[in-house]
Amino acid sequence: MRAIPIRPVLAYPGQFWGRRSLVERLAMILIPAAMVAAVVTAVVLYLAIPPLLDFLGANFPLIRFFIAATAILVLTIPTAFVLIYLELKVIARMNLRVGPNRVGPWGIAMSLMPGLKVLSKEDFTPTGADATVFTLAPVVTFLASVMTLLVIPFAPGVVGLDLNIGLLYFFAMGGLTVLGLLMAGWSSFNKYSLLGGLRSAAQIISYEIPLTLSVVGVIILASTKTAQTLSLNHIVLAQSGSALDWFVFKQPLAFLIFFIAATAEANRTPFDMTEADSEIVAGFATEYSGMRFGFFFFAEYVNVFIVSALAATIFFGGWNAPFNWPWPVNLNAFQPLSYGPAVWFAVAAMVVLVGTYFLAMVVRLLGGRSWDAGSALVMGAIVIFVIVGGVVTLAGFIALDWVRGIVWFMAKTYAFVITFVWMRATLPRVRVDQLMGFAWKWLLPASLVNLFVTATAVLILNR
Amino acid sequence: MPARPTAPRPQNSRVKARAAQPQPQQQEPSADDPRVMLDRQLGTLYEPIPPYPTRTEREGEFYSLGDGEMFLNLGPHHPATHGVLRLVLKLSGEQVVDVDPVLGYLHRGVEKICENSDYYHVIDQVDPLEYVSSLFQEWPAVLAFEKLMDVQVPRRAEYIRVLSGELLRVASHTLFMGFQALDLGGLTPILYGFIERDEIVEMLAALTGARMLFNYFRIGGVNGDLNHEFMSRLGDWMSRAAKQSQAQSALLNENEIFVRRMRDVGVLDRATALRYGVSGPNLRAAGVPFDVRRAHPYSIYPELDFNVPTRDEGDALARYLLRVDEIRESIKIIDQCLNNMPDGPITAKLPRLLRPRPGRAWAAVEGPRGMQGVYAMSDGTDQPYRFRIHDPSFVNIQTVPAILPGGLLADTMAIVASLDPIMGGIDK
Amino acid sequence: MDRTLKTRLEARLGEHLRVPVYQRQDQTEIRIDPGSVPEVLRIVHDALDLRFEILADLAGVDTGDRMQIVYHLWSPMTTDWLRIIVDGISRDDPRTPSATFLWTGAEWLEREAYDMFGIIFDGNRDLRRIFMPPDYTSFPLRKDFLLPDDAARSTGAGVRHVEQAHTPAIVADNPAAGIRRTPAS
Repeated sequence: MRAIPIRPVLAYPGQFWGRRSLVERLAMILIPAAMVAAVVTAVVLYLAIPPLLDFLGANFPLIRFFIAATAILVLTIPTAFVLIYLELKVIARMNLRVGPNRVGPWGIAMSLMPGLKVLSKEDFTPTGADATVFTLAPVVTFLASVMTLLVIPFAPGVVGLDLNIGLLYFFAMGGLTVLGLLMAGWSSFNKYSLLGGLRSAAQIISYEIPLTLSVVGVIILASTKTAQTLSLNHIVLAQSGSALDWFVFKQPLAFLIFFIAATAEANRTPFDMTEADSEIVAGFATEYSGMRFGFFFFAEYVNVFIVSALAATIFFGGWNAPFNWPWPVNLNAFQPLSYGPAVWFAVAAMVVLVGTYFLAMVVRLLGGRSWDAGSALVMGAIVIFVIVGGVVTLAGFIALDWVRGIVWFMAKTYAFVITFVWMRATLPRVRVDQLMGFAWKWLLPASLVNLFVTATAVLILNR
Repeated sequence: MPARPTAPRPQNSRVKARAAQPQPQQQEPSADDPRVMLDRQLGTLYEPIPPYPTRTEREGEFYSLGDGEMFLNLGPHHPATHGVLRLVLKLSGEQVVDVDPVLGYLHRGVEKICENSDYYHVIDQVDPLEYVSSLFQEWPAVLAFEKLMDVQVPRRAEYIRVLSGELLRVASHTLFMGFQALDLGGLTPILYGFIERDEIVEMLAALTGARMLFNYFRIGGVNGDLNHEFMSRLGDWMSRAAKQSQAQSALLNENEIFVRRMRDVGVLDRATALRYGVSGPNLRAAGVPFDVRRAHPYSIYPELDFNVPTRDEGDALARYLLRVDEIRESIKIIDQCLNNMPDGPITAKLPRLLRPRPGRAWAAVEGPRGMQGVYAMSDGTDQPYRFRIHDPSFVNIQTVPAILPGGLLADTMAIVASLDPIMGGIDK
Repeated sequence: MDRTLKTRLEARLGEHLRVPVYQRQDQTEIRIDPGSVPEVLRIVHDALDLRFEILADLAGVDTGDRMQIVYHLWSPMTTDWLRIIVDGISRDDPRTPSATFLWTGAEWLEREAYDMFGIIFDGNRDLRRIFMPPDYTSFPLRKDFLLPDDAARSTGAGVRHVEQAHTPAIVADNPAAGIRRTPAS
């Protein structure tokens, strides 16, 4: 009879570890580490929370700024994804195609694919390229685009930083993209990149002037209603009322100039000479691959979003609704915070579970044999979340003014975004010298004329 | 996983035989070898186009840089050069000073292959030259062989040839319109063009069995008769054809950006065009009404009533509008063919082993890009002795050094696209 | 077949024609020596009753023991194509005058003939290879071109069987079989 060992007998060092599976190995490392980390964190928090709370209370604006900056950095990613998806599908429909419809339901996960793709590509620097400048160029471009989001008012009270020189800050940051593109074009050690970078620099610089001049008319108009005229929040407030108060009706020429110049600033068709992929391959971004190209890619879409947002803010009333909320529905009797967390938790759990099961049955019934239980449950969960989200948004829309503001702002912005995408699908490219000629010979005088007329009109009407 | 030492692989007889053969001695690698370029870069790191020792006068003139000029290689790998065309541009800023086209990236030795294939196989080999309009590659070959063998083609076969040829001409021009817009930046017209072309190509697939490389013409006729599916598709298409081509061209003709980028760009005047031997729509847009169908009629074209549109300006816009006009004329021709289609056989009787008497024959047809010609020499065997293909795109691209300088880099693509080159034909 | 064209050509060209003008179907053919090329082309291009202003093709031909250049021309004055065969170019030193003085478009056609056959065109400003790489050493369309010779000299070093440096049996047994000769031209 063999002796049953009481302890495991190890034949060689490392036998125990070598025989563990992957899951066991991970558990053996992570569980003790987690326990230690929990103890340490508890001690640190107990010691550090009171002074931290004091500090936070004392410096609330700073903390608010940090949260706002992080939020806009994080929110650019889903924005870019939504824009990529819109571009793919809308252009496809205009081309009488379907667009991506395999990756995810209706192809919505397709926009994630460029993101994952650029993350997984080899990140190299070409021979002869200036490595520091080459690496910094996409960072500069991306950050210049993202920082402008800090001053855009999404809703009453929801603005990153209500600078009283917000508009000036916006255009200053927008101009920084030139720096990034020039850096990219020069440091790539490639003639195509050089041509693309120089073209883009020339284009953006040329179009900045009509862009800013066309907005000065709006500033003059806003000065009749508010003192802080460069603050975007105040410009939006100056357009409150009904749709007829929006500045587009008082400054139509300025809007037209702004729209055209904004297309050039965002390097969109018909002004996308800088990335004319039928001539200079990818322009300044020819030598970029991997996440560096991803930064340029995202920067372009964020750029589209911000010029659309600015157009919506300055000319179309920002978060103002075009008409007053007509129906006397309000939810004042409904005070969600008074019910307490337990009730809400129970309600949420019930709704989610019952809804998932019920909708899974509905899906199975309607979809037939092709839906197995797992997918039906997942679909049911998705649908119930969509329904709950819709209901909550509707309630917020009715009750809270900031939800209303965000919804109207996003609607207007995306209307402009779709207009940009529409132009890309339809129009060919303008040649580089025709582009410059247009900016200097037509847009600049037109914006000056607009400025002059506006100033004169304001002076006369206010006399 | 540590690598375990393995036993050396046993040498089989093939490896031993190769090792026993006299090895070719290591010669200096050629200047085209990419490894050589890397070594040379140590000295000339900043010159992307390695200067060959110049061999000819023109090359020396081109590869010497003036003040402020640079070379830009619009290389064979490029999103918009209509195939593997390499254009070495000499730029002064954005303006093109000189251009040297480099061909040969798609050279397949078709003429040599045809010397080693029998007369039926030649028709198949010659299809992928201008793959977009392959019937127009088969047609002169078949005409030349018929002249060598004194074969009379039945009238029905001639009508079917003209019908399918003109359909393919419409498809080719539609595709040209799409590519022209794509090279200028418009993403949509090419997809509309492909929808149009797809209809026609499906029709021809019902007739010939293939969508692109048809292999349909035979010496003495065509391969298969008209069938019901082809006729029904053709009828559907004809009922919409005129309006559809109108709609498609309306997207671009009125577009201000498109017109401004093409007007007065790449002007090829009459004298230059004649000196270079240009043919087809490029020549007719320069004001010379030379169309092989009228200049040296073949097949049943003498009986058909159609116009030869001509324009005077010679710029890219004229070439574009001319091809739009030609689509309309082709639709007229197709209509006439359908109305007057005779009955009869579709091939002439020929022996299975074709051995023409020794002789020489030249035949040319009007393809969508110009005059496509074949010079065939026979020596009495069942393989042609010399099969020379004259391709119109080859001659059209030759005008590029004459019309590109003076324009901007952005015009390069517009001009090359307006010449409508197909690299398969250029490089044979 | 245009009989009047034959008389006009004989009247204009006279002593340049090596053999009588040959006409078959819709083509008229004349043969000249390489030395007569500039004059003949000039006469045929400029003469008011000939006016062959459109160069349709310029081809090279290797007939086994000599080379030829074949021009095809079109004129609005006649219904025939004119074929000018420049015959008698030797295979060891193939030289012939260039037609670029008359048609700039002949430049690339002559480059192609040079690339494929090795025929040197005196007067062509840009006689370099057009299809093959610039340092290629053979002339592919010659009748004595054998692929293994060519492959063995390249950096690809002939890895496939068809590129191995052995003489094909048909040529090893019968050297005359390596070059196909056209019997009657």
